[in-house]
Amino acid sequence: MPRASKRKAAPASSSSVTAPPPDQSRSRTAKATSKTRLKESDQIDNLFDTYANSSLGQIDPEGIETLCSDMKVEYTDVRILMLAWKMKAQRQGYFTKDEWQAGMKALKANTLLKLVKTLSELKKEAEAPQNFEDFYSFAFKYCLTEEKQKGVDIESTCELLKIVLGYQFPSQVDSLVEYLKVQKDYKVINKDQWMGFLRFCKEISFPDMANYDENQAWPLILDNFVDWKKQKSGGR
Amino acid sequence: MSNQKKRNFQIEAFKHRVVVDPKYADKTWKVLEHAIHEIYNHNASGLSFEELYRNAYNMVLHKFGEKLYSGLVSTMTSHLKEISKAIEAAQGESFLEELNRKWNDHNKALQMIRDILMYMDRTYIPSNHKTPVHELGLNLWRDNIVRSSKIQTRLLNTLLDLVHRERTGEVIDRGLMRNIIKMLMDLGSAVYQEDFEKHFLEVSAEFYKVESQKFIECCDCGEYLKKAEKRLNEEIERVTHYLDAKSEIKITNVVEKEMIANHMLRLVHMDNSGLVNMLLDDKYDDLGRMYNLCRRVPNGLLTIREVMTSHLRETGKQLVTDPERLKDPVEFVQRLLDEKDKYDSIINKAFINDKTFQNALTNSFEYFINLNARSPEFISLFVDDKLRKGLKGVSEEDVEIILDKVMMLFRYLQEKDVFEKYYKQHLAKRLLSGKTVSDDAERSLIVKLKTECGYQFTSKLEGMFTDMKTSQDTMQGFYASHPELGEGPTLVVQVLTTGSWPTQPSATCNLPSEMSALCEKFRSYYLGTHTGRRLSWQTNMGNADMKASFGKGQKHELNVSTYQMCVLMLFNNAERLSYKEIEQATEIPAPELKRCLQSMACVKGKNVLRKEPMSKEIGEEDAFFVNDKFSSKFYKVKIGTVVAQKESEPEKQETRQRVEEDRKPQIEAAIVRIMKSRRVLDHNNLISEVTKQLQQRFLPNPTEIKKRIESLIERDFLERDNVDRKLYRYLA
Repeated sequence: MPRASKRKAAPASSSSVTAPPPDQSRSRTAKATSKTRLKESDQIDNLFDTYANSSLGQIDPEGIETLCSDMKVEYTDVRILMLAWKMKAQRQGYFTKDEWQAGMKALKANTLLKLVKTLSELKKEAEAPQNFEDFYSFAFKYCLTEEKQKGVDIESTCELLKIVLGYQFPSQVDSLVEYLKVQKDYKVINKDQWMGFLRFCKEISFPDMANYDENQAWPLILDNFVDWKKQKSGGR
Repeated sequence: MSNQKKRNFQIEAFKHRVVVDPKYADKTWKVLEHAIHEIYNHNASGLSFEELYRNAYNMVLHKFGEKLYSGLVSTMTSHLKEISKAIEAAQGESFLEELNRKWNDHNKALQMIRDILMYMDRTYIPSNHKTPVHELGLNLWRDNIVRSSKIQTRLLNTLLDLVHRERTGEVIDRGLMRNIIKMLMDLGSAVYQEDFEKHFLEVSAEFYKVESQKFIECCDCGEYLKKAEKRLNEEIERVTHYLDAKSEIKITNVVEKEMIANHMLRLVHMDNSGLVNMLLDDKYDDLGRMYNLCRRVPNGLLTIREVMTSHLRETGKQLVTDPERLKDPVEFVQRLLDEKDKYDSIINKAFINDKTFQNALTNSFEYFINLNARSPEFISLFVDDKLRKGLKGVSEEDVEIILDKVMMLFRYLQEKDVFEKYYKQHLAKRLLSGKTVSDDAERSLIVKLKTECGYQFTSKLEGMFTDMKTSQDTMQGFYASHPELGEGPTLVVQVLTTGSWPTQPSATCNLPSEMSALCEKFRSYYLGTHTGRRLSWQTNMGNADMKASFGKGQKHELNVSTYQMCVLMLFNNAERLSYKEIEQATEIPAPELKRCLQSMACVKGKNVLRKEPMSKEIGEEDAFFVNDKFSSKFYKVKIGTVVAQKESEPEKQETRQRVEEDRKPQIEAAIVRIMKSRRVLDHNNLISEVTKQLQQRFLPNPTEIKKRIESLIERDFLERDNVDRKLYRYLA
């Protein structure tokens, strides 16, 4: 990846750009960039090796846990999930070398410190309207640990909902989670229903749910949820 | 020859000497005036038509038309004024007569006058835009007689009074009325309407308003309707006799409004005599009358129809939810058929087969029949009862009639697939026990079902019949190839194709050795000719005929179920058997075994076994003996329990569940079919299309359809559109 920015040519300390004299400096900086480039990817790799399980060649759940504590971030923090999203991680609890490299590069982080710093930006990025649905969808897929698994069990779904949506739609998530735990119709939630939850939070006014029309193509589980909620609040 | 004066030689018309005699016009007029007087005085015979005509002609010719015309007007007017006085002077009854007479006179006079003045009529009058003589005569009559202040009101009141008297039962002079009314009509429809009809209608409305109020207080619905009908007919007759035909519609409207429309709701809903009572008591005449009368008023038929529909729905609802009725399914269905017959009669006899009423009947039946979820089962039981014994000795046509009626009820069912399930079960039992009264009737019903629901519905049922036939052939073949078996017990096997017959789980049962050996021989025979098939004995569906001798030498032939046979055969080798021993030996599942023992030990008349203790329930510690004291009037005793019965609660649940399970693939197939052809479709349309496709068999629940859609999405048959969340897309 060509380093266009001269700023990065100087490691550690970054600030103003000084225009060095042409020719000589260019070759100097050119050398510097390639060196730093190497250095950066090395750093990324080194970081990877720090946490990776050597026999597996991947960072495993334990490694992630360590990474989290080093970053002083909770294991269940949504930003970790977002990190996985940024890395396009395929398997829950594991980061492959490629995934790690791609993610770190995309985040423009090569040290742990930088990684921590970018986490808050990452959160904003993931929550941006144009990205959130993608992230939300990823979060579900990420939980499908078995091959050919199509649904996530209720317990995990509830946890996931809290992590992913709890910040933006707290009251909806609380109600939904409560409902999911008491209902008996479904033991797993599939992708369609999962996406339905997001749509529900975005489109339906809450808690009155006045604009919910069960004759529309909402997943049945949401029809039942709305009925349950209405009954609970002493409605019709 | 002088050329000075060349006179043009012209031939001139011969001119009469124009005697401009000023007195000429007067003289001529006097003649005519005199003639008119004479005409009015009935002295016309002495007049010369030709002379008068000529005089009139001359006057017009010599430009005295104006004088002639105005003279005519004033002469006639003065005559009419005198006539008017004469009429006014008439007393009482003779008023109308006098008027009539004078009118006739006037017409005759007018005719003569018109004839005399015909030249003026044809020349002077049109070119001067004057009213023609005849019309003039009528107008003058109108203005001077009919609308004269002293006559106008009196005339109207006299006429109205006569009408009133006739309405209250008096006889009046209709001819006279007709003439007077005709006079008004001749004077112009404006006169007829303004001077008579308008008031006539007002007065009539008042009359009928009062009368209808009186009647409704004291009559019941049927009587009132009779009276209303009578009045209506009277008015129509009145019109034909002495009113303008155009008045008919107007006066009938008045009667309809006052007597019917204004009181309709009260009549229809009248306690003890209203529409509902008439329906209950099959009062065809009254109903017909009500129909005819209500037909005439706006929303009349609508009202009747609505009342009938709500009554029918209420009655039907009570019928199908009455717990007493539900105890006997055959009676239940019979009641429904009776109700249908009743209303068919009513609509036929009283409502002239009005289609809207037939539709209302259909809708009502559809409504309440489906209120009871067991209706499909009960209808099947009804059919079962008929095909077992009810149709015995009934002629072929009557059989068809009954089956057609049953089909009508079938059509009202929403859950036809539930009916199919039960029908299959019941048919299976009938076929296997050989208990059907008429094969033809069975097949006839299948044909009707096929016509109604298509081949799919009946293919399995037909398969059952085929199996029975095939089995017969198989048995023949079996015994033909095993002649040595002629001595032993006779085996009759029905080979049932799985899938055509209702599925039953087959339970264990140890057949007695004689039977099991025989069964094995059959099995090898059958599999010899049909390799690749698998036979499993359905011991819970069989029956057996056994000969038994009891303690006092009494011999009986017992018809029992296979299970019962297994139990009884044990007693050939033992006097006393405990429940446990029986259970062990036969390996029949406990609930069935208990039922089986109960039917043989605890039922009076069928107690071929004796039980200790003598309790009604079968206990695990009980002991059984052959009942040496068994007696029955009949040689052949039937103890089998293979008759179709109303299902018990758990059985019903099970059947219902199976039906629900069967519906799922049907719904899915419909969804896939529709989506495949439409490619993209929105949610609501998909639901309605699916419902439409399936409604011949059952009414799918929209929630259930939604579940199936989601299941298909999960299995990647469909997907939701990314942009418009209401749309579904078919995934090839």
